[in-house]
Amino acid sequence: MGNFVFHLGKYIMLIWRVFSKPEKFSIYRRRLFDEMITLGLDSLGIIMVISVFMGAVITIQTAANIDSAFIPTYTIGFTTRQSTILEFSPTIMALILAGKVGSNIASEIGTMRITEQIDALEIMGVNSSAFLILPKIIAAVLINPFLTIISMFVSIGGGYAIAMFTDIVTVSDYVYGIQLDFKPFHVAYALIKTAVFAFLLTSIPAYQGYYASGSALEVGSASTRGVVYSSIVILVANYVITQLILI
Amino acid sequence: MIEVGDLSKSFGDKDVLKGISVTFNAGQTNLVIGASGSGKSTLARCLIGLVEPDSGSILYDGRDFMKMKDKERKELRKEVGFLFQGSALFDFMNVQQNVQFPLDMLTTLSSKEKKARVAEVLERVELSGADKLMPSELSGGMKKRVGIARAIAPRPKYLFCDEPNSGLDPITAIVIDKLIYEITKEYNITTLGITHDMNSVLEIGDQIIFIHQGYKAWEGNRDEILVTDSKEVLDFVYASEFMKKAKP
Repeated sequence: MGNFVFHLGKYIMLIWRVFSKPEKFSIYRRRLFDEMITLGLDSLGIIMVISVFMGAVITIQTAANIDSAFIPTYTIGFTTRQSTILEFSPTIMALILAGKVGSNIASEIGTMRITEQIDALEIMGVNSSAFLILPKIIAAVLINPFLTIISMFVSIGGGYAIAMFTDIVTVSDYVYGIQLDFKPFHVAYALIKTAVFAFLLTSIPAYQGYYASGSALEVGSASTRGVVYSSIVILVANYVITQLILI
Repeated sequence: MIEVGDLSKSFGDKDVLKGISVTFNAGQTNLVIGASGSGKSTLARCLIGLVEPDSGSILYDGRDFMKMKDKERKELRKEVGFLFQGSALFDFMNVQQNVQFPLDMLTTLSSKEKKARVAEVLERVELSGADKLMPSELSGGMKKRVGIARAIAPRPKYLFCDEPNSGLDPITAIVIDKLIYEITKEYNITTLGITHDMNSVLEIGDQIIFIHQGYKAWEGNRDEILVTDSKEVLDFVYASEFMKKAKP
C-alpha cells in the first residue's frame, strides 16, 4: 500500500511538471504534430483491421445467440451498433493502443533516460518531463477520439459485410437495426471515455519510462509495467466513468 | 572560472566527496582524474546541479550556485555545455537538429542565424557534410564530435566533458582531445573534463586534480604529474604496462 501511495504521489508530481508552462511553444507545436503522426496515424492500420473483424464477430455472435422467434433479426444490427459504440471501440481500442503506443512510449523515454538524453535536456535548462511527455499526452487526447470514430464506422461496416455475404441477417434488417433508437449521447460518452483513456495510456507508460534506471533490461521491465498498469487503470476508469455518466 | 569550496556529498552512509576545494580557470582544460568510484563524476554532477551537495560552495564567476533558486540555475545552465560519455544525442533528431536544438530552446536567434551557427560549429568539428545523418548512422568518434558541436553551439562559458574518450580508438581519442583543447583556448571556455585516460591527461591537462576516495589528493599540471612524489597519483599514472615501460 505504501509503495502504491509513493508511486501515485510521484506520478502526480510528474504530471504537475508536465503541465507547467512550455519554454518554446513553436518547438512543442512541432513535436505535437510529430506525435500525432506517431501515436495516431501510425495506429490507424491496426485499428481498422481489428475493428472490421470485431464488428463481424459481434454480428455473428449476436445472431448465434438469438434463437427466439419473438426477437426480431434487426436486433443483430442494433446490438452490434450499441456494443461497438458503448464499449468495443472506446475500450478495446484503448487496450490495444495501451499495448502498442504504451510500450513504445515507455521504451522510448526509458532509453532516453539510460542513455543520458534526459540529463542532456535538464542541463540545457529544458523541462525534460514537459518536453517529452506533454506533446504525447495532448496528441493522444486529440487524435484518439478520431480513431475511435473511425473504429466505430469500420466495426459497424464489418457487421454490414457479414449481412451482405451471409444469410444470418438481411442487409435491410441490419441497416434498420443500426439506425434504431440511436442516441447521440452514447457517442459523446464513448468520446469522453476515449479522451480519458488516451491520457492514461500515454501518461502511465511515460511515468514508467521517465523513472527507468540501469540497463536495457530495466527499460524492458518499464515497458511491460507501463502496458500492464495502464491497461488495469483503463479498466478501472471505464467502470468509474460508466457509473458516473450512464447510470 | 568555477571556484569550488569544501564540497561534500554522501549517499547514505557512504561519503563520496570529502571537502573538495579547487578553482577551475577560464581558457584552461581542467581535468579531474581518479579511479572508478573515486567521486569524480559525482563532483561534475554536483557542479551542474544534477546532484545536490550536502555542504560547500560553488561559484560560477562569483555567482553562488548553491544559493540560486531553480529559475536562476536554469538561466545559468544556458551558459553551460556538456559533453556526455555516450554523447547523449537525441535519437529522434538528425545531426543538424541535434546541434540546433539548444539554439532553438535557449536563444532568440533568427532561423538564418541558427543555421549559420550550426554550419559554423559543424565545420569546426569537421562534420560539415553530416548534417542530415541520424545518430544511429554515426561512428563513436562522429557522435562525440556532434556532441561537442551541440555543446559549443550556444557559445557556453563553461564546458563539462564526462569521459570524452571512452570507447574510442587511440587515434580518434587524440582527435577529440585536441578538439576540446583548441575550442577551450579559442572561445576562452572554462573546460572541466572527467577522465581516467592518461593519454588525455598528458596531452591536454593544463590543470589536473586527482581525486582519491572522495578527497583531493593532488593538484598540478601535465608536466608535474609525471614527477610527483604522491604515491596515490604515481600508482594511478603508472598503472598500465605501457606507462610503466615509458616511466622516466
